[in-house]
Amino acid sequence: MRKLIFNLLVLIALASCNEPDEPAFVDTVINRVSFNGFFIVNEGNFGWGNGSLTYFSYDSIKTYNNIFRSVNNKPLGDVPYSMMFYGENIYIVVNNSEKIEVIDRKSLESIKTIYGFISPRNIALAGPNKAYVTSMYSDSLKILDLKENEVTGSINIKNSSESILVKGSKAFVANWIEGNEIFIVNTETDELVDSLEVGPEPESMVSDKNGNIWVLCNGGWMREHFAELICINPLNNSILKKYIFPSKMNSPLNLQADSDGDTLLYIDGNIKAMNIASSDLPAEAFIERDESMFYKIGINPVNGDIVATDAIDYQQNGYFMIFDRKGKFISDHTAGIIPGNVFFMVNQGHIIE
Amino acid sequence: MKYCLLYIFLFLVAPLTGQQDTIKIKEIIITGRQLPSDLPGFKKSNIDTILQNNYKHLSLSELLSECSSLYIKSYGYGGTATTSFRGTGASHTQVFWNGININSPMLGQSDFSLFAPGMNDFIDLSYGGASSFTGPGGFGGSVSLGNKPAWSGPSGLYLSPGIGSFGHYSGFMKLSAGTGNFRTVTRLFLNDSENNFPYMNNVNGDEPLRELRKNSQLTQRSFLEELYFRKAYGIISAMIWLQSTSRNLPGSMLVIQDGPDEKQFDQSLRSIISYEFEKGNIKFNLKGAWSATELIYVSKTASINSVNNVNTFTLRGDFETKATRNTTVKLHLIEEYSIIETNNYTDDKSGNNTSLAISAHYKRGNRFGSSILLREILDGTSLLFPDFSAGIEYRIFSGIDHFLKSSFSRNSRLPSMNDRYWNPGGNSSLKNEYALQYEIGYRIEQQVFNILSADAEFTFYTSRIRDMIQWQPGKYSYWTAQNIGTVNASGFESVVTLKYNYNKLNIGLNTGYSYTRSVNARVEQNRDAYQLMYIPENQANSTVSFSYGKVYLFWITDFTGKRYITVDNSEYLPGYILNNIRSGIKIDPGKTGADINFTIQNLFNTDYQTIAFHPQPGRSYFLTLSFKLIK
Repeated sequence: MRKLIFNLLVLIALASCNEPDEPAFVDTVINRVSFNGFFIVNEGNFGWGNGSLTYFSYDSIKTYNNIFRSVNNKPLGDVPYSMMFYGENIYIVVNNSEKIEVIDRKSLESIKTIYGFISPRNIALAGPNKAYVTSMYSDSLKILDLKENEVTGSINIKNSSESILVKGSKAFVANWIEGNEIFIVNTETDELVDSLEVGPEPESMVSDKNGNIWVLCNGGWMREHFAELICINPLNNSILKKYIFPSKMNSPLNLQADSDGDTLLYIDGNIKAMNIASSDLPAEAFIERDESMFYKIGINPVNGDIVATDAIDYQQNGYFMIFDRKGKFISDHTAGIIPGNVFFMVNQGHIIE
Repeated sequence: MKYCLLYIFLFLVAPLTGQQDTIKIKEIIITGRQLPSDLPGFKKSNIDTILQNNYKHLSLSELLSECSSLYIKSYGYGGTATTSFRGTGASHTQVFWNGININSPMLGQSDFSLFAPGMNDFIDLSYGGASSFTGPGGFGGSVSLGNKPAWSGPSGLYLSPGIGSFGHYSGFMKLSAGTGNFRTVTRLFLNDSENNFPYMNNVNGDEPLRELRKNSQLTQRSFLEELYFRKAYGIISAMIWLQSTSRNLPGSMLVIQDGPDEKQFDQSLRSIISYEFEKGNIKFNLKGAWSATELIYVSKTASINSVNNVNTFTLRGDFETKATRNTTVKLHLIEEYSIIETNNYTDDKSGNNTSLAISAHYKRGNRFGSSILLREILDGTSLLFPDFSAGIEYRIFSGIDHFLKSSFSRNSRLPSMNDRYWNPGGNSSLKNEYALQYEIGYRIEQQVFNILSADAEFTFYTSRIRDMIQWQPGKYSYWTAQNIGTVNASGFESVVTLKYNYNKLNIGLNTGYSYTRSVNARVEQNRDAYQLMYIPENQANSTVSFSYGKVYLFWITDFTGKRYITVDNSEYLPGYILNNIRSGIKIDPGKTGADINFTIQNLFNTDYQTIAFHPQPGRSYFLTLSFKLIK
């Protein structure tokens, strides 16, 4: 009996032995990124530092997950949220790490890490070698020198900021959390010059083919207000049109404009599409969610493909789906944890069929 | 492979325990004994009190992490520490203080970093179904912190100041006084730590950088007063336990902080009044407890000021009698009423639950014993499906302490108040979770000559948790609590203890190894069943103790295997081995005495993390000078 127990224990001990620890990251390291594809910033879980970067190549029809870590041998950070392409560089805003990673556009190798932000969210080009970075938990925008890659100043808007859209010499900045205003900053003087009251919690903004700005106000997470879609004339900062969602339970998110600039898309459970000339909000779904739960969408500026992410349970790796411009499903692919915003880097003529 | 050798070494000691089982002398003594277990069929253990004493300047999380099979997930010294017992979640470990459940009703779990081991006289661990004899909900098990009077002990004062690395200052005081029928014990624990240890940051920046952990200061105060009075057949006791902890919560290594951003304040007042009666075959214990806790969490960056106040009133009655010469019958009644005031719910909430259990313990001759329990829980006005536990234990060879035991249990856990009422996402229509648990074990207690004793226990267990509450993304972009989790946890535990005593020389070895496989049972087609995050498959620990006369030394080794940090097991934290040395000399000239103790934590300066991107301290030192004055 003792021998039996002993042998059993030794067997279990042997079975439980592990080989020496291997690197956890097994993705193929790519040496260069084609200019025909898109990035998805996978937010990862807040505070867990498991955000990552996914690249989908139209050339190879292949997904490269965790590509930042594969190339740079370090984690991207905690909640990467947005990106911007400028010159030969890519700027990745990492929200909860309070930094911006600057990487080479082609090799993805790290160039610099810029600190000095408070909960940065979105970044927008505001002039030659100049960008503004919004902040979820401070009252200022940060001014970034894109030549030296350093913070050179800030613009106090006395409120937190989320999405940002630059038209000419005006930067339109949305005050999302518990806010209902769009602030207008003069990009030449870096001064707050005006503000405009919109609906509760303006979450995302896009520009249409007429040069007007559309603002999606999601009504706030407490569901105490109706969500609104508002069209603004950026020349005189006036409201041209306002659409009010039918129920307080509507919580639309992530407004996007298609490649022609005449159709707006957003997530409201399903993906909804609306012509900018429409007099009503769309009642029907453009893309049914079926089993999916859409988290973010992006639209290919060249061919109009729609990329929609699904975070599944917000713990395991999510995935993204590619639809053609008519909403027909093309393919789906695995991404990282909580796949978020989509950023295209495409040339003319690359279309997935 | 180095871990493989370690395991083999740990198991090599197992067969040694049985090699001397033909000693005749002990057979004569043991034959007449009943089974020694007070809960036949189930597994219980306790933390060695000498070892517990050596951790009185640290927290319960450090003690359990290094000296038990529990896995402690900690944000670092002083940071929030929760446990995984037998591959289950933090809320599946119940924590009792003298029989009163002290898990937070809001969270359904305890922060083990808040408890100082010196405030209690004993720490018992009940594994799996054994915990249901104390109270419901311990799918993994329970941790019982207890205080008891030393009626025949002397009055005295014990003082123990300490100083250590990283700005760590602490002090422990225990004052005992009284007569044969009245005892009072006062304990005080003060603990301050700058906690600014260096660590290697290899994830932020282009090159690994030696950084100093900042913003993790800790201030802790704990006071416990116990009063005991006995007369005839009864004992009346009253206890009051005050705790206050203030700490800065440092961010992850991925964040560069300029100053303290997150803070947490925990305060609690716990009190118990108890009456215990024993006469002949009748024994009963009535307890009334009031617990008031406050947790304030402040995040400057996120503009969060979360204030949470909980008042819990508990009544507990345990009645015991002998039904027959071999059978003891017990009744357990627990009534808990909690009131929550928090800015995280829409309004103040209260919850009430009552559980009634009947258990019977049967021992026949000196070879057979069994335990059975049946429990009914009233959750508000809803009756739950009854729980039960049943176990049997059998002495395999007459007169020799080799026991085979097995048990089967059904256990229920009610949703926490946050699961029900957190705004947004709380779900007031949640059902209770339940678990089906089975275990089989083999226990050996062997006296080898007069100078060497060997004990060992090996246990296989399996647990099926159903309707487990998980927070899932809901329709309106915030998470909601739902009964959708299904987890299968199974594993193996072994403990081997050797003690050698010869004249002034005492040598002890206590080793433990556990293998835990805990997976989501609802696996999609063509997908592997992944190990749950932050639950190590392999864990081992050993304590080698040595004392000769006044000099003593403990060498504590703790191995924790890799822990996955993603659901698909694609990333993990590597395993680590920690070594701690605690040594000292006792000076004991009569009624006064002193103990000079020197500790080296993390002897080999191992870099490790128990939560990703939250570094743990490297090598540190701690010196205590303890004085006792006995009247």
